[in-house]
Amino acid sequence: MKNRIERLEALARELRFHIVDMVYKAQSGHCGGSLSSADIVTALYFDIMNLDPANPRWPGRDRFVLSKGHACPVQYGALAMKGYFPIQELGTLRRLHSRLQGHPVAGKLPGIEITTGSLGVGFCEGIGMALDAKLRKEAWRMWILLGDGELDEGSVWEAAQAGAKYSLDTVTAIVDRNGLQNDGFCDDIMPMRSVAEKFRAFGWNTLEIDGHDMAAVVAALEEAKKIHGVPTCIVANTVKGKGVSFMENKRDWHGKPPNEAQYAIAVAELKAEAVR
Amino acid sequence: MNLPKATHPTRREFSERMAQRGQGSDFAVFESDIGYSTYSYLFGDKFPERYFNLGIAEVSTMAAAAGMASSGRPVFVCGYGVFLTMRALEIVRSFVCYPNLDVKILSSHGGVTAAIDGVTHQATEDIAFMTTLPNMKVLCPCDGVSAQAAFDLALDHPGPVFTRLMRDPLYSLYPEGAEFRLGGSHTVREGGDITLAAYGDMVFETLEAADRLEAEGITAKVMDLYSLKPLDFEGIEAAAMATGALLVIENHQERNGIGAFVGDALARKGLCLPFDHIGLKDTGLRPLCFEHC
Ligand SMILES: Cc1ncc(C[n+]2csc(CCOP(=O)(O)OP(=O)(O)O)c2C)c(N)n1
Ligand SMILES: [Mg+2]
Repeated sequence: MKNRIERLEALARELRFHIVDMVYKAQSGHCGGSLSSADIVTALYFDIMNLDPANPRWPGRDRFVLSKGHACPVQYGALAMKGYFPIQELGTLRRLHSRLQGHPVAGKLPGIEITTGSLGVGFCEGIGMALDAKLRKEAWRMWILLGDGELDEGSVWEAAQAGAKYSLDTVTAIVDRNGLQNDGFCDDIMPMRSVAEKFRAFGWNTLEIDGHDMAAVVAALEEAKKIHGVPTCIVANTVKGKGVSFMENKRDWHGKPPNEAQYAIAVAELKAEAVR
Repeated sequence: MNLPKATHPTRREFSERMAQRGQGSDFAVFESDIGYSTYSYLFGDKFPERYFNLGIAEVSTMAAAAGMASSGRPVFVCGYGVFLTMRALEIVRSFVCYPNLDVKILSSHGGVTAAIDGVTHQATEDIAFMTTLPNMKVLCPCDGVSAQAAFDLALDHPGPVFTRLMRDPLYSLYPEGAEFRLGGSHTVREGGDITLAAYGDMVFETLEAADRLEAEGITAKVMDLYSLKPLDFEGIEAAAMATGALLVIENHQERNGIGAFVGDALARKGLCLPFDHIGLKDTGLRPLCFEHC
């Protein structure tokens, strides 16, 4: 178990580097929400999900939908590290004709299941995908990552009801509870109160964890697999911009690229952590 | 084309005017958590009691705007074009336009020029949707002076007004104090061989094209159609007849855009002259087909 967690922690550090590196090279994109979800995404791609990168559309694969599509650097980085496409291609983020669009687009990049980026949509798409799996009697699991600001969208709660109605126990929604959205702290923009209580009221099984404690992340994702009859929501308490000191918990690092000096500091910090 | 670069995008110019006009007028501003992108926060900082950030919830925000406007108070709803004109379209149609309420839409990220954000953020059908709605007026300024003027036209007109604004700063075209009106247009370059009519960022692309045509011995008249509905069809018609040919250029789908509307109007009047229009040909910026992957 110790080796398993340490390996994932090292992979998460590498993923964080790619996030900052690609947004710096593009001079555009979202660091904050990518960094806050790096540990969750690492655990999913490198431990939990049943995938075959050499055969990205293998019917039995687990599905991942990044409902908070603006955080695509975290997913692009993980896909490249898994071998879905060459690592160098990360340098084409947000460029004309690149497969790495500013928000994920279906049908371009291996490993991207469906188009997202318009908040409140990916979660509903994931519910629909899971309904299809049920119809086909397929056993793969549906993993959906949402932002906490994203929960403002009413469509999330509409689909949450459907998830409970159809007992979609193959569905696990993970809420990246970093407490920030675009214009400020969630508590100021639109107070959400207890996310877990809300999902419970909508008929979901819920878990609450520290989203940067890799052992806790892995344990919660494993636990979700064992639940029968209801979908699970994992509320992962995180820090937006996690891993780069000056980005942590700052509104203005939601969607801003680092400049040259900031990039140097960020890379040094991420590497320094890797040595520890 | 020898124009000074703009320091601010039109989305910011519009919002700066909104913050100025907040004094002496009782309109409210509704935002859906992108106030630092639409620059509506400039109004919010000055008039916090009339600034409502309703979270990432464009549909209910639009409906709430209709509710507030039903008392007669003008409400500006700020956001990105795709979310306001597409996700909230039914609300805009049935609950804002049909009852002719005083709701104004500040719509940023118009056209494919929001390119680096990808297809979910490119509003390339917004003009078709908005110009189709009864009572809705539609504006698309190209520079800072016309964006500030568009705010005034929107506020001073009783009823729904949609303004398409751009993500990136472009150029400055108009002198301070230039005049704009609903249903107006401006000739921004004189020429005798063809009329090129454009709006928004395409005005600058078109001026650039006119330069190149001149090098080939063709002089083009360039029109800025900043008022898309009502449209200055008389002005377009007169220019087309005087120059003998007409091309409409837009950052929008070709279908059901302004070019299609102008072609339809020309045909109905029985006017026959060389005419074409350029836009997106039933596609996004990149092919939207499903490649193997
Ligand atoms: C429907 C929709 N409205 C607005 C936006 C613009 N937008 C992009 S990210 C964001 C804030 C998201 O906050 P949150 O979900 O908490 O994401 P995170 O903090 O994880 O980055 C907003 C408003 C969008 N992408 N989609
Ligand atoms: Mg958040």
